[in-house]
Amino acid sequence: MKKIVSSILCGCMAAGLAAGCGEAPGEQQRASLDEGAVSETEKGQESEGIHLKIWHDGDEAIMSTMEKDVNEMLEEEGIRVSFEKKTALTDQLKLYGTDEVNGPDMYFYAHDSLGMLAEMGILAPISDVSDTAALNGELNKMTLEAVEYKDTQYMVPVYFETLLFLYNKGLWEGEVPDSTDELYAYMEAHTDTDAGTYGVVNQHSTAYNVAPFINGFGGFIMDKEGNPGLNQAQTIEAVTYNQKFAALQADGDYNTVTTLFNEGKAAAIIGGPWLVSGIKDAGIDLGIKSLSDFTLPNGKALAPFSGVQGVGVLKQSAESKGDAVEKVLKALASEKVGVDLVVNNNCASANEKVYENSDVAANEMVLNIKKTADTARPMPNIPQMSVMWGPAEAFLAAVNKSNADISAAAEEFQQEAVTAISDIQ
Amino acid sequence: MKNRKNAIPWLYSLPAFLLIGIVIVFPIIYTAYISLTNMNLYHWNDFHLIGLGNYKRALLKADSGFLSAVGVTLVWTAVNMGVQMVVAYFIALGLNAEGLKLNRVYKTLLMFPWAMPAYVSILLWKVCMFNTEFGLLNKVVTALGGVKLNYLSENVPAFLACTVLNLWMALPFMIMMIDGALQSVDISLYESAMMEGAGFWQKTFHITLPCIRPIIAPSAIMTVFTTFKQFDIIYLLTKQKGSLTGATLQTIITYAHENAFVSNNYGLSSAVSILIFGIIILFSVFTNRGLREENS
Repeated sequence: MKKIVSSILCGCMAAGLAAGCGEAPGEQQRASLDEGAVSETEKGQESEGIHLKIWHDGDEAIMSTMEKDVNEMLEEEGIRVSFEKKTALTDQLKLYGTDEVNGPDMYFYAHDSLGMLAEMGILAPISDVSDTAALNGELNKMTLEAVEYKDTQYMVPVYFETLLFLYNKGLWEGEVPDSTDELYAYMEAHTDTDAGTYGVVNQHSTAYNVAPFINGFGGFIMDKEGNPGLNQAQTIEAVTYNQKFAALQADGDYNTVTTLFNEGKAAAIIGGPWLVSGIKDAGIDLGIKSLSDFTLPNGKALAPFSGVQGVGVLKQSAESKGDAVEKVLKALASEKVGVDLVVNNNCASANEKVYENSDVAANEMVLNIKKTADTARPMPNIPQMSVMWGPAEAFLAAVNKSNADISAAAEEFQQEAVTAISDIQ
Repeated sequence: MKNRKNAIPWLYSLPAFLLIGIVIVFPIIYTAYISLTNMNLYHWNDFHLIGLGNYKRALLKADSGFLSAVGVTLVWTAVNMGVQMVVAYFIALGLNAEGLKLNRVYKTLLMFPWAMPAYVSILLWKVCMFNTEFGLLNKVVTALGGVKLNYLSENVPAFLACTVLNLWMALPFMIMMIDGALQSVDISLYESAMMEGAGFWQKTFHITLPCIRPIIAPSAIMTVFTTFKQFDIIYLLTKQKGSLTGATLQTIITYAHENAFVSNNYGLSSAVSILIFGIIILFSVFTNRGLREENS
């Protein structure tokens, strides 16, 4: 009896191993119907419409605005899009980028990982599905520059972000200064680190947040050719200048600085539009100033990085659903989507025509982001950039948090960056 | 008939072997294969065999950081295990002290860190203990008139902070094992020793430790491996993306993570993973041999 039971259990376990390999209910039936019924299927697809999946890793409210608008605009064409959130999107795209069944048709993400995905060969150039000259007509030049990799456009820009100077009108005393030296003087006068109160806080050891200084001084984290610039004289000058600000900005951790500002212990913060909902929830009377309104000691304006959020097309979808993809791209680049993104989500649209709208003209935050775009530099989108953040931030942390010698640290982390870049090949 | 008898145990074990093969053996073999290729960003779909080049890069490149990561990992494992065993032993002894009231309450409280998800514990410690502005440690320091300290900005304090947190998280398991082992020791042995005039240390070294060693050894080995491949404490406290603290501590697992997920060089990172796998296997062989010799 025992033997029989054991054998049955073994059989069940072995069968269980293969359980996932079975066909879905109705699949077999569908398969048999498929043979010789291609035209019928095509007709059916046309009548049912085409469904396109867009993966993203962003704010659900923003995606919802776009999804609603695009589906309304393309309803008559029988095209429907759905935005699906995937955390660690680039990792997911590495796994499913060539998977026609389980992967997405398009993805919506920041432009800085573009080079990596393009090198992997999973993206289709936008020119494969659309006439780029017509599509780009109303789009901002800086955003178009950001979505090009090796002279090929791989994304359609939808909106962009830059850092801003956000201040608490209830705490800030006097006018917000126009130069960084005056800003530093204000910080010295209004910071008491022992009491935990600060004039201005910033993520002083995060490369993205120090980039306005580095770019403004004429330095760079990485140039267009993929050369790291941590040991450039201008970069060192900028990091040295930023160091004295860092000493008055707590530990520079994202959670620390946002909490200090939201709790009214810091009068101002350098941060992006993503902070605004938390600030509003904290009941702070928010003032906004563009970073390009601050001049550095060399007379140049702070020049933050800009992050362009856009939509890219996976190769297999460009081949099989090219027409529908083109219509979705046009819809996403349209004025209507742009205006709704500004009004509903405070996103600075990449479509220039949007700024003629009266509702948009009244949006202080978006206008400040737009203004900052004049001096902002698109984040590099070459694959080497993915390994550059680590050494750049380690350099800043060593200088600002561990009091390392700046020149020695610059050389050390420049070498680390060179090694990291060689390691990706 | 004899062959059939021999085959039956294998037949019964077949489903388990299949499962182990698919879930454990296949990924190891595939990782070993990838480690011999040039699979990276530029050769995502068209990678090919390149021999032992990745192993050479991992082991011989002076600035690869792998060898220093091995050193840090060994120190980390030794320090944590040493402190953990000693502290857990004395806490367990305390819990078994004669006449101790509410000892079950203490035991339950001591188990609390074990019940919390590691990710939550680590971030709680990072914010509530070590944070320069809101952390308890700096609140105490400033209340006593001192200046705020950054506990995670340099390697030695960061190593100590990670060790303290690891102890907090790992002690409950070790205390529980030693506590259980202590209760299995025959009290008459202590009574005889006391009649002979033995003191605390003599009883510890000649009765308690020899008696509990067979019970503690497997859990100690398990903890050695867990500590050796510890990733989340060091990564989340000091190396989290976007909030680097300034410390440059690197264990072999954080090193492998940086190579695999940051550089996208899967050939090189697979080579590092196979080397780590080899080290752990070697480690396991030596500890098992030691145990076997001890038991015999």
